[in-house]
Amino acid sequence: MKRRDMLIGAATAGAAGVALLAVGTEAAHAQATPPQTAGGVLDRIIKDKKIRITAEVTSPPFGILDRNNQPDGSEIETSRQLAKDLGVELELVQVTAPQRIPALLAGRADVAISSLSITFDRAKTVMFAPPHGALSIVIAGAKKTAIKSASDMAGKKIGITRATLEEATVPGIAPQGTNIVYFDDIAATLQAMVSGQVDAAGMSAFAAKSVADRNPRAEIENKFTVRTAYYGAAVRPGDFDLLQFLRTWVFLNKQNGVLARIYQKYTEIPLVDLPVL
Amino acid sequence: MSRDFDWPEFVFLVGAMRWTIVLSLIAFAGGGVGGLLLAVARTSSIRPLRWLAATYIGLIQGTPLLMQLFLAFYGLAVLAGVRIDPWPAVILAFTLYAAAFLGEIWRGAIQAIPRQQWEAAAALPLTPAAQLRYVILPQAFRIAVPPTIGFLVQLVKGTSVASIIGFVELTRAGQLMVNVTFQPLIVYPLVAVLYFALCWPMSFWSLRLERKLDAALGIKRAA
Amino acid sequence: MSYVFQFGIVWDHLPRLIDGAWLTLRLSVGAFLLGLALAALLAYARTSGPRWLRIAVTAYVEFIRNTPFLVQLFVIYFSLPAIGIRFEAVTAALVGMTLNFAGYATEILRAGIESVPRSQIEAGHSLGFTRLSIYRHIIVFPALRAVYPALASQFILLMLGSSIVAAISVEELTGIINTLQSTTFRAFEFYFVATAFYLVMAVGMRLLLDAVYWSAFVRGRPVEKAWAR
Repeated sequence: MKRRDMLIGAATAGAAGVALLAVGTEAAHAQATPPQTAGGVLDRIIKDKKIRITAEVTSPPFGILDRNNQPDGSEIETSRQLAKDLGVELELVQVTAPQRIPALLAGRADVAISSLSITFDRAKTVMFAPPHGALSIVIAGAKKTAIKSASDMAGKKIGITRATLEEATVPGIAPQGTNIVYFDDIAATLQAMVSGQVDAAGMSAFAAKSVADRNPRAEIENKFTVRTAYYGAAVRPGDFDLLQFLRTWVFLNKQNGVLARIYQKYTEIPLVDLPVL
Repeated sequence: MSRDFDWPEFVFLVGAMRWTIVLSLIAFAGGGVGGLLLAVARTSSIRPLRWLAATYIGLIQGTPLLMQLFLAFYGLAVLAGVRIDPWPAVILAFTLYAAAFLGEIWRGAIQAIPRQQWEAAAALPLTPAAQLRYVILPQAFRIAVPPTIGFLVQLVKGTSVASIIGFVELTRAGQLMVNVTFQPLIVYPLVAVLYFALCWPMSFWSLRLERKLDAALGIKRAA
Repeated sequence: MSYVFQFGIVWDHLPRLIDGAWLTLRLSVGAFLLGLALAALLAYARTSGPRWLRIAVTAYVEFIRNTPFLVQLFVIYFSLPAIGIRFEAVTAALVGMTLNFAGYATEILRAGIESVPRSQIEAGHSLGFTRLSIYRHIIVFPALRAVYPALASQFILLMLGSSIVAAISVEELTGIINTLQSTTFRAFEFYFVATAFYLVMAVGMRLLLDAVYWSAFVRGRPVEKAWAR
């Protein structure tokens, strides 16, 4: 009897699912215009005296855990600066790489400041503020792994973190026969590289340096650079008031050298000339 | 200059256990309420109620917990159009999960009570609701306790899945500590030991209760 | 904030989803068979072995049952390489799923073995059966029939639990979905469809397993039917 109940249940669930889809699509269409009523998100942030910003703590040096296992890093420090300049309290929303944009879109965060490189695909789903930093994506691996350029990746296992710039770029240049291994978190990718589960991995040059410094025995080195990119803060489509504040904020902090100071503190290299978005 | 795994790292792990326990308890409490409702619905004489409950339980038990978590986390906000914080979404997913499984366990316990008890209670006379409340449920309760505790263990282990969406409980804390120390050989087995310390006492207790119950019901165990 | 559902994107990637589901099935069935074989050995050791072996098996079973599968996987995939044991992702997943399943199956089989009435076993002894023969002719079939439902449920749990191996980069259904949704940002649509896939697989396997039970243990076996009451 239970099985019959379950089958009927499954069929009902299927019908309910279709109904839910129809309702959901209807509701979405009904809300087609973004809310531009008085009191946008910037007003809300100032009124609540709180801003929520994404924090990725497994992405050195942008986001790490310091000696007291508290969030730190260049993007975290940047987030603190933004909260300070707005005069509100900061709430860090811890995310993994694949969650940076979904957390923003779902409303769990108001701004995503987690080394999000500016790309066409991402620009279709979020609005970017002018870039406040630059990074390069490299393939890094142990010294004994013989990779000098993209073509040497054939037959090797290359670790990539999902929803990152390396995921968007490395598979495109990988030759036939490259075994690309995907992880859900930068921490897992770095671990896989250090423990030898993959021959090499894609990551930012900074992350590679950080891992190499921390694991002298593993003898990690940069193999080659894949591409460079600028990264910036992102907000939800439609939050134009917040976006405009961010534009102004980047402008001012470029002028007064604050962005350059934060960048150099964690990456140990000077900030390049940032173009205006 | 990675840090070696030392006292601060261990404290971080133990501190994260706090969230594992809190999440488990809240889901267990919420799931308990839901489970009771489901168990009653599953054994009621009203057909649509039985079907609804069976559908719900079938859905939860027929899909991975990880998927349920993803859907709650990514999907709810999208469907409902409201801002969902991480905690409520995760708690909701685990509560719905617990409700389904507890509902099944308790349904089994209720159905283990012989029909004669129902009939005797009806002859007293008691309304169906009163039969349930004063005669059936107290007896079903005793039968249900061991598997319920067993499920609590399942729930605690299940919270480790929340780490995949970045929720900082014990497993995620382990990942973070490995990232800082690069010593997975120390950290992950230690995390396993911490879970064991949390779960095994409950498993053991559940086994002892089951043995006592079997003895009380007159069942001789082979071992 | 408006959100327009775009399920079309999911259908575009259907072949990859099917690849993922197929790997899920292969991993689950493989782990089931290997795990069952291991569990049979362990259950035998647990019921008829020397004391130290019984304790060792109990320790193993209790460890598996009181620690999360995800952590077990992390130990196998990330910790073991540090002592030289390196499994590739899919192999690590299979090893993890097998060891995990065996932990539960051992208990189930042990309960099944112990459910065979002592009178049957004593009858075997008095007829001069060797220990192995007793297992083969007296214990195995009734025990299997008794534990089949529990084993079938455990298999479904195994298959649904396989979604966790995506965390160590295995490209089964969940892994593929994660990759696809991270590049297209259509999280909800992909997870919804993946959940539907799992549901279909779970219901399908359940029906299949029920059919096997019926044809193997119920139909056309008058002697066993009379015996089993």
